[in-house]
Amino acid sequence: MDLSALDRTAIAGKLRGVIDPELGVNIVDLGLVYGIYPEGDVVVVEYTVTTPGCPMRRFLQQKVEEALDSMDQIEAFEARVVWEPEWNVDMIKPDVEFFAHPPPRAQV
Amino acid sequence: MNTGKVSNKVLVSLLFFAAVGLITGLFSGLVRLGFLSDAPTQPVSPMAHGPLMINGFLGTLIGLERAAALEKKWAYAAPVLMAASTVLLLAGPVVAGQWLLLLGSIGLTLVMSYLYYLQPKIYHLIMAFGAASLMVGNVLYIIGYPIYTLVAWWAAFPMLTIFGERLELNRIMRPPKQAQRLFAGLILGWIGALALTHIDRTIGWTIASVLLIGVAGWLIKYDVARRTIKSVEWTRYSAICLLTGYGWLILSGLFGLWHGFPTAGPLYDGLLHMIFVGFVFSMIFAHASVIIPSLSGKLVPWHSYFYLPLILLHGFLLTRVIGDLLWWPVVRKIGSHGNVLAILLFLGGVLFQLVSASIKKKQRVTQS
Repeated sequence: MDLSALDRTAIAGKLRGVIDPELGVNIVDLGLVYGIYPEGDVVVVEYTVTTPGCPMRRFLQQKVEEALDSMDQIEAFEARVVWEPEWNVDMIKPDVEFFAHPPPRAQV
Repeated sequence: MNTGKVSNKVLVSLLFFAAVGLITGLFSGLVRLGFLSDAPTQPVSPMAHGPLMINGFLGTLIGLERAAALEKKWAYAAPVLMAASTVLLLAGPVVAGQWLLLLGSIGLTLVMSYLYYLQPKIYHLIMAFGAASLMVGNVLYIIGYPIYTLVAWWAAFPMLTIFGERLELNRIMRPPKQAQRLFAGLILGWIGALALTHIDRTIGWTIASVLLIGVAGWLIKYDVARRTIKSVEWTRYSAICLLTGYGWLILSGLFGLWHGFPTAGPLYDGLLHMIFVGFVFSMIFAHASVIIPSLSGKLVPWHSYFYLPLILLHGFLLTRVIGDLLWWPVVRKIGSHGNVLAILLFLGGVLFQLVSASIKKKQRVTQS
């Protein structure tokens, strides 16, 4: 992969579309996304969930993968859940508004 | 590498068994109230109401939710055993079913303890105590204790699970450390009071009732629901469910102080259903918009229709409790049938919304 082509801002922007339904905030502003970097030809997104028992883990994995899959400039990706460092509320973007938008709507 | 990830088909199959536990549990409840009393045999034993609702439905659902979160294949043993126990309890070999539900609750306790091991926080400890409460209730059930002596442990399972989950989620409200310690103290005291009921039922339940009111008061003060009630759609709906559920907890506590912990009859029915319907089902309604996507990957489109089952749930529960307090069996019966109707209307609404969204999505794909 051409590393210069990896636009972290664009990827982070896309990931802002992934909303944690429990808190009504996107995963970037929640501080759940720890890293976006290339690993060989693969774009790796490292993210965490609020606890190891978070019921939304599977849902978020699906939504992160969908977001990455929808980006034409990304050919291969991996959405990787990591546990270090442990997430805490201080990682949330200051002044973020919880439930600012309704829980994400299903396409109807 | 997600080696513990199981297919959606496995999740949906286990969800199906949780639904079987719920539907047959509700049916069994109606049989207890005299439904099909003229029939020579009952399709579901009236004695199966508690085990099916607590283990078959809630045990399978909560076990499944945790296993899907952990993504460890061994963690699925708990919901699989719970689902198998549902089948056996319904098919006839009740003793085998009882042993399986005990094994399922042991599995769930191990899963929740493992979560505490991974992240030793008070909310995980509270949830682990919830699973352990189910296990204690099931042990007592198997060795033949009367249901009225163990039902508090069964009730503690969903209650502690929810208390732990709310404490975890409400970290965003940044409750002071002292308030968090108070919450943990109230809950640990409440568990101690449940144990005390085995020595002195009156004193134990009186203390438990006072502490329960304290827990509910804490939740009302610190839960994000007081803010999100000003939001819209599922968020507002969830907040209303949460706050009304906490209200029922307070009423349960007051009821306990007034009437103690009855062992049978209408007052026993009233107290248990204030907790199980008023609190637990309110919480299920509150969290449905999150639980369903977490297991199915599909969001439930919002519709204001969902207020109908919520109003019916609380309205008919109130009717039922009035019938219980005033010893009006017909009123109690109307209320309890109405509760079943409310739950079925909620489930039906969820299914309708999911299927409608799926059909519309397919139509869009076909057109494009």
